[in-house]
Order: sequence, then C-alpha cells, then structure tokens
Amino acid sequence: MRSLLAGVRVIDFSWIGAGSYTTKILADLGADVIKIESSKRLDTLRVTKPFKDGKPGVNRSGYFADRNSSKRSITLNVKDPRGLDMAKRLIADADLVTNNFTPGVMDKLGLSYDAVRAVSERVVYAAMSMQGADGPEKHDLGYGLTIAALTGLTYMTGLPDREPAGTGTNYPDHIPNPGHTAFAILAALRHQRRTGRGQYIDLAQMESTLSFIGPALMDYMVNGIIESRSGNARPGHAPSGVYPCQGDDRWIAIEVSDDVQWNNLVTVLGLTAPSDWDTLQQRLLHRQTIDAAIAQHTAAFDMTELMQALQDAGVAAGAVYDARDVVNDPQLEHRGHWVTLNHLEMGPSTYNSPPYRFSDAYSEPSSPAPLLGQHTAEICRELLKLDDVTIEELSAEGVLA
Amino acid sequence: MTSTQQNAAALEGLTVLDVAGPLGNYCGKLFADLGARVILVEPLSGAPTRHIEPKISDRDDLDASLTFQYQNTNKESIALDLDSTVGQEVFRKLASRAALVIESEQPGVMAQRGLGYTDLSSINPSLSVTSITAFGQSGPFSHWLATDLTSMGMGGMMYLAGYPDTAPMVACGEQAVSAANVFAGVASLAAVYDAETSHIGQHVDVSMQECVVLGMENAVQFYDLEGSIRKRNAGTQRLAGTGVFECSDGYIYLMAGGVGSNRFWTVTTDWLIAEGVSGAETFREPCWLDQAFLATDEAKQLFGKIFIPFARSLTKAQLHAKGREHRIPLAPICDTRDISQNPQREYRGYFVEAVDAYGTKLRMPGAPYHLSETPWALRKRAPQLGEHTQDVLAWVGYSQEQREALLQQEAVQ
Repeated sequence: MRSLLAGVRVIDFSWIGAGSYTTKILADLGADVIKIESSKRLDTLRVTKPFKDGKPGVNRSGYFADRNSSKRSITLNVKDPRGLDMAKRLIADADLVTNNFTPGVMDKLGLSYDAVRAVSERVVYAAMSMQGADGPEKHDLGYGLTIAALTGLTYMTGLPDREPAGTGTNYPDHIPNPGHTAFAILAALRHQRRTGRGQYIDLAQMESTLSFIGPALMDYMVNGIIESRSGNARPGHAPSGVYPCQGDDRWIAIEVSDDVQWNNLVTVLGLTAPSDWDTLQQRLLHRQTIDAAIAQHTAAFDMTELMQALQDAGVAAGAVYDARDVVNDPQLEHRGHWVTLNHLEMGPSTYNSPPYRFSDAYSEPSSPAPLLGQHTAEICRELLKLDDVTIEELSAEGVLA
Repeated sequence: MTSTQQNAAALEGLTVLDVAGPLGNYCGKLFADLGARVILVEPLSGAPTRHIEPKISDRDDLDASLTFQYQNTNKESIALDLDSTVGQEVFRKLASRAALVIESEQPGVMAQRGLGYTDLSSINPSLSVTSITAFGQSGPFSHWLATDLTSMGMGGMMYLAGYPDTAPMVACGEQAVSAANVFAGVASLAAVYDAETSHIGQHVDVSMQECVVLGMENAVQFYDLEGSIRKRNAGTQRLAGTGVFECSDGYIYLMAGGVGSNRFWTVTTDWLIAEGVSGAETFREPCWLDQAFLATDEAKQLFGKIFIPFARSLTKAQLHAKGREHRIPLAPICDTRDISQNPQREYRGYFVEAVDAYGTKLRMPGAPYHLSETPWALRKRAPQLGEHTQDVLAWVGYSQEQREALLQQEAVQ
C-alpha cells in the first residue's frame, strides 16, 4: 500500500475551521503536517465544545481532534526572534507553508510570502483569508456562517415564507474551502516537482464557496433571475420532498425522477392517487396536494424500513440521518468511514476518514490529534538538530511555548 | 522572441477523460481550469448535464444549460457510444494516453463495458480511475438510487438545517453533488501526483454520502463524547446574539455571542451603547459572558427585544458597514444580485465571461484560487456536443478513412 503524499512536509500555521480541515486532508493522505501552535494564543477549537466527558481542557475538544488527525504539534513562539528563526529553518526544508489568517497577520510575524521565499524559492505558500490578499474588503473578518450569508447559501436555503435558514453549520469551512484549497495545493506541488519553483496561492474563501453556487449566479447574470428559497422541492421533479416518519423528529427524503418511480411509490405507500397524477406535468401542478397525501402515509412507516422498501422498488429515498444514525449506518460501516483512534488524553474516540478510498494507497487517518506541543522536542531534535540541553533552555525561556 | 517566456500551466501535460455521467462534471472542470487537457466523453445524445436547469432564457437546445456551461469550461468534447464495441475500443485507445478517467456511472457499468479500472489498468498501469457514486463501489447500499436531496439526508447534513417546527431543509444548489466532485478532485489529483513518479495508478472510490458526512461539523463528536444529538435551529438564535436578524430591507447574520470564548460580546455591547440603543447597557452585566446563560431562552428573548428594533431601522448595507467598522462578524444575507455587484469581487476580477456558440455572453464565477506562477484561466467556453470528435480521434491515431468509418458505424458523432 502506498502513501500518496509521503515525503511532503507542511509547516502549518492554520487554525480553527477551514485551514485545519485543509491540512487534515493532506495529513491523512500521508503528508508530514507540522502544526505550529502557541500556548498563549490557542487555536480556538482546542477550547470549543464538545469535550471528552464534558470536561473542558486544551486536549479534550472533539471538534479540534477531528480536524487535526495525523498531524504533529510544536509549540513555538514566533514572536521571539529565536522562535522566528526556528520557524524559518523548518520552512527551509519544507514543501508547503499554510495559513488562514486575515491578510497582514503573517507579515507582522515576519513570515510574509516574500520573507518565506527568501528562505526557500521552492516553497508553496498557501493563504486562505476570507476576502483574499487585496481589494477594498481584504481586512474583513469572517467565519463559516458569515461566509454562508455573504455567498447566497443562507438566502437560498429554507422556506419561501420564512426567514432564511442556511445549512445551520459553518458549511463553507467543512467542504468548499478545504476542498478547493487542497486541490490548488496539490496542483502547485506538482508544478514544484516539475520546475523546482514554488508559488503563492491566494485563496479568498468567499470565492471558493461561490464556485459551489455557479449556476444560480449565472441565472442572475445571464437571465436576470434572482433565485430564492424553495424548501425541499426540486425544480422539475415531483414529488420531491422530506416527509415525516414514525417516531420523534424522524423524516425521509424522497425524490421521484420518472413516471415508473411514481407508480412504484404509490404502490409502496398504498396511496390512492388520481390517474392524472401519472404525468410529471400534472404532478408539478399539484405538488402541494401530493406532498400532503404522501406525508399522511409516510407517517405510519419506520424511516429505515420505508427507505429499504422504496429502494427495493427502485425509488430514490434516503432516511434523514442524525448523528447517531450516521455512526450506525451499514454502508458507512462497510466503507470503514468511522475510525477509532486512541488519543493520549481523550482515549479511544471517533474520527472521520476522508470520503475516498484508493485501490493501492492509504486513506484513513494515521494518528489521533496531537496534544498541544506533543511533538515539540521530537521536532527540535529531528528537524532542527537541537540537543536536549538547548531544548530545555528554549522551553524554560518561553521560546518553545 | 523568447522574452515572453510563460510558465507551463500547473496541470499541463495531463490528459483527463471526463465520462459525462449523472453526477456531473465539476471535478473535470477543476483539472481543465488549471491547464490539464480534459476530454468530455459524451453519449451520442449528449451529457446529462446538458438538460439541467437553469437554462438560458427561451432556449432549450443542447448548449442552453447554464449548469453545463459552467461545469465544462476549457474542455473538449467527443461524442462516443460507450455501449458499442467500436466505441469501447476507441475509449481504450484514449485511456492508453490518459493520466486520469473520471466517471460517475452506477458501480459495475464501466466494467460491463470492458472499461473498468482493471481493464484500463492492464492497458495503462499509470492510469488512475476515479469513480464518483452515491454510496461507493461496494457495500449493502452500493446499488441504491440517490439524488442530491436523498444524499443530504443520508449524509447527515440535512438534519442540522432548517426550522425546529418543520421538516429539515436541503441546502440550495446541490451541495452533495458539489461535495462529491470537489473531494473527487482532491483524491484524483493526489493519485495522479503519486502515479507520475511511481507509475502506479489508483482506482479512486468516492462516495457522495460519505462526502456529505464531512459537513456535519461537530455533531458526531457531540454524540461520541457527550451522547447528545445536535438538532436544527433556524429561525432562532443559536446563542443569544448569534443568528439571523431582520433589518429594513432583508436580513443579516450576526455572530455576537459565543464565538471563540465570546470575544465579540464586549465590542458588540460597546457599539450598541454608542448607537444609543435603548437597553443595551444591560449587556454589560457579567451573566452575558457566560455561555450557559447565552444558551437560555431568557437571554435570547432579551437580546432580541433590545437588538431587533435597532436592526429593523437600518438596511443590511448600513449594518454591514457598522459591523466592519467595529470588527464584529456581521454579514448581510446576500442574494445573487448583491453578490454579482460586490466591489471586492469586481476588484479581484472574480467573474469572467465566456461567449457560447450562439453568441450569448455567459458571465460566471472565475478563479476559486489565485496561483501566482500558474494562474487559473478561462481559455475556452464549454464545448458543443462532439465539437472535438475529429481532433481527438486523429490525436489517438485514427486516419481520415478510419474516422469516417467510425462515423458511419454510429460509434462517434
């Protein structure tokens, strides 16, 4: 089995959401990701719920742990000239430097792209701020939820007669932004290997998120149509929606794509349907009446049993899973999605694997999240060639903190 | 003559076959826009995405879909019948020269055509094949049907979205499909990166359901560590001071409470007091620095009582400007018109324009990232069906005569 990014070393200044998720992707693919941390200015996720046994602690957050599998952690005070020098020595032997600060923060630390390029011509430098490195709004601060608001995801999700709902999460941090950044980084690493040259990647998280709603943006810019909220109804497909099932807050998503599927749905649910609903045109016209009729029938079914029955009948149906359901889903189980890693302080805990498998390479996380500064001494010895006495001195003087 | 020396594009020299299937073509676009040669392999009737809404107003031809136009920039198109023996032979020739095949057929379909990973790998061991499907290549649900809607349900994101008193809500814009495509892009490029030196290709198996699971934020960790099930909360404040609020011309999203050890509470309070908002002094009381208090209905109601009348007196642009001035995460809830007129996007040249085969100008999102040495570039519009069939066939060595024979056998178009 191969490790696809073996030999790639990353000096990682990223923190909180999108940045840490990006470098998790690289770390789980086998890159050596060294997370530069500071005990004075903690990665906020380290002190964000949920905590193991509900007890707060810098090494107890499950949110942090899941975003930082397969990485090493060094605590290094880069505001001390000796710390800055050590960071530069780490960078000199690395392939990639990453951060997700607002523009200017890395410059103030003495780690601007120019400063880094002076150390190494071949380093790829990936910055993922909210609005990008330049422009009138470059200093804006943002989180996944405000990026979702600014990119239309919030506006276009929910019911037309209610306030915008959005995804309820910091979605841009989890998928569009780490996904695009990792792709750009891999492309730049290929260029680096072919030419020996590094480069500066300036990713505005706003822009990579907007690329996920391209057709809606084009609908306005080409047709002048401002798309709004339409609940769970899919244009051109009827019925399509989310219907109640037996139990407390249990639901099933069903989407019929043709007339045969419609007839099979009618049979499975035992629906009495007028024959003019047999055509899509009529079903689109009577969407609301049909949805109400379906909801009346689905309410008598267990969501998992109904999903199975509809799938057996060739109808696309999916139970609306909560956190407990995804952990117990037989398909995700078959793929080995959930891995249990033995964290030094949290003990055995559940981690996400990446959502892909390779025929001949590893894809799952190789180690749990690091404790704060867990690998400080190891990295000092291995990569900076420092002896134990020096390491102790630097620790005592707050450089390795 | 050599003064205009240009860098090679980041992905120059890679040929990618993008088999147009049900899960779309955004993964192939990622490669094409950074300089790979991406050949869209379409059935003779055209890629399924050619029929997807939204379409250019008053048009219903094969080039009318804006989704298709967006997902297929910088690609070439060959119309090839993969269900015919002759078409399969052509595909194998193409695959012998490619670094990557991307496909999204149901598991087993490509293998039945003699075009599965094992078949293609025996011709070209360096080749990687990426299969994007709803549930993955094997397992109890691998042959089940799915759409974006049902995948958002089974991937756990839907349960977290929507109002507590209605059904959960699906995210706009087919996010499950997008997630599958972007993760497929990452995994494919990692495989190709390694195969270029090891000459060992990979079969990359991407599950759309599994991609969606990665969007569950901390919900699984809450279940794992505390045994609690996270629910949806639209229409309410997540914590006092954080959520959607109505203003005079729409809505804003404010994150005053609970973010990063509550670091924005004090600055928000100071701002509201400076604005003369009646009752805002209350927010100076120490209870507001306690997250447990912010989570109570009492705190949310009190915050709403004081903040909502103020918010309703201003536009989303006015509130945004004030939030920016005080460095508070406060964002207008933008629609697509707001976004298309944003000065920051304008400054960065984010939107780009292609002209379709009929002369219609298609303005669309451009670079998701700026690479200083090997920039993202829109070089050509999405192809018409089979626009490059002849060129592509000639490239793999078919003579004029052979190409005509293929046309007559209706294997290509």
